[in-house]
Amino acid sequence: MEAAERLRLGSVPVPGLPPAFEDLFRREYPRVVSIAHRVVADADEAEDVAQDVFVSFYRKHPAEAHYAAPWLYAAAAHTALNVLRSRERRAKRDAVEALRRDAQAPDPAQAAETAETASEVRMALARLPERSAALLALRYSGLSYEEIAAALGLRQSSIGTLLRRAEDAFRKEVTK
Amino acid sequence: MSDIEDMLSVPEPKVDTDRALARLRARVEGERITPVTRVAAPRRRPAVSGWLKGLSAAATVALVATVLTMSGLAETILTIFEPKQIVAVPITNSDLNGASSFDAYGTLTWTEQPKPYDVPDVRTAARESGMTVLIPGNLPAGVGAARYGVMPKTTATFTFSAEKARQAAAAQKRTPPPMPANMDGSKLFITGGPAVVAFYDDGTTPTGATGASGASPFSGMPRLIVAQGKPPVVQSDGVTVDQLQSYLLQQPGISPQLAAQIRAIKDPSTTLPVPIPVDMATSKKVTVQGVEGIFVGDSTGLGSAVIWQKDGIVYGVAGTLTEQQVLAVANSLH
Repeated sequence: MEAAERLRLGSVPVPGLPPAFEDLFRREYPRVVSIAHRVVADADEAEDVAQDVFVSFYRKHPAEAHYAAPWLYAAAAHTALNVLRSRERRAKRDAVEALRRDAQAPDPAQAAETAETASEVRMALARLPERSAALLALRYSGLSYEEIAAALGLRQSSIGTLLRRAEDAFRKEVTK
Repeated sequence: MSDIEDMLSVPEPKVDTDRALARLRARVEGERITPVTRVAAPRRRPAVSGWLKGLSAAATVALVATVLTMSGLAETILTIFEPKQIVAVPITNSDLNGASSFDAYGTLTWTEQPKPYDVPDVRTAARESGMTVLIPGNLPAGVGAARYGVMPKTTATFTFSAEKARQAAAAQKRTPPPMPANMDGSKLFITGGPAVVAFYDDGTTPTGATGASGASPFSGMPRLIVAQGKPPVVQSDGVTVDQLQSYLLQQPGISPQLAAQIRAIKDPSTTLPVPIPVDMATSKKVTVQGVEGIFVGDSTGLGSAVIWQKDGIVYGVAGTLTEQQVLAVANSLH
């Protein structure tokens, strides 16, 4: 059997990643981390989320797919929100600790206060309906209305209204 | 800066893309994760029979899980599995990749092949399937007309073979647990269906409701699917089901987590496990039509499904719809 045929049949493992996937990874990884980081507010956890998102994409979708970027953005938001919700179930103290680590501020008292506020804000985000939380995560990570519409499968013309509703719901949740 | 921007602000993460890529590469190689090689072409109007083939593939997965869960029944010549309720069993990709197919333990012979076909209307579907076919009382805006397909009752016989199990394990350089002597040559009789499936196309946008075609496991599917069918029934002619469960759960590809979840099912002889691929979907319990069901949402948030069993029939409603919409359709079935 020719080597190429063996490869095609999967009888020997293919070394490395396909070049197209590596290109996609280099192009989108920083943004995927950024979206996840906006949600979880912990750099290490954000990178873990990004790794899972890319592995998931790699398993099911070709790197050349036209929907690759919006898929990755949506998956980053949803996966990070799932992480947030599991974190909510853990002791609040743990979350504050993670945020304090990440804040790396010189003043410990200030850092603790910042971390606690950030933790409460994230818990409020986790309690929002999935679509509202994802909208906020993507918008405040710098995505355009067009990019958000593609990622969440919404009409671009409705993003403004949905975003305003999500913002109102978020404010209410934070002040609860 | 707006108040929300302020609240959600985080220090910009320092990202080392090369290091991250090396980490991913190591994971892909370590876990032997294989990529897909081509884009599945989205079909604007998929043939009903194509969808039914997909559903029958899903039913096969459910059957494998069903056999895995059988236990606790009397050591009689005829052992019966008849589900009365359903439960979600999270399955990881490594479970799917690692577990051997039925072929690794014996031979599956179809005595009545799954042969789905299209029917012109709901009355024909009811007549051909012998079931009362429920229809939605109301549909979400933008959902078009229904087309119906029927899958007649399907039966298969599975014969265990110690020799096949030994060969399959040897080919994978694995050492399987020994097959109990009385299992070799024993048979399982599997019956599934009949089933009726209604497909509702998107009435407005021909390429799909979400605009992100291909981005979700639900993409390319009709806007809404309503399915109902008789659940699978499994009978065994010799081997005790305790032996069967113990043997299958010891297989090298079955993760301890999956085995523990299956062993934890309270009443396995009457519980139909629904495999939920954890990296693609999440699930939770919901009340639908007055009974407990399972809601499944895909991880991109674009698709939803609800599955329940009532009065001896398993029902499913799925589509590129929100949780509320899918539950509203499910509760309106009459």
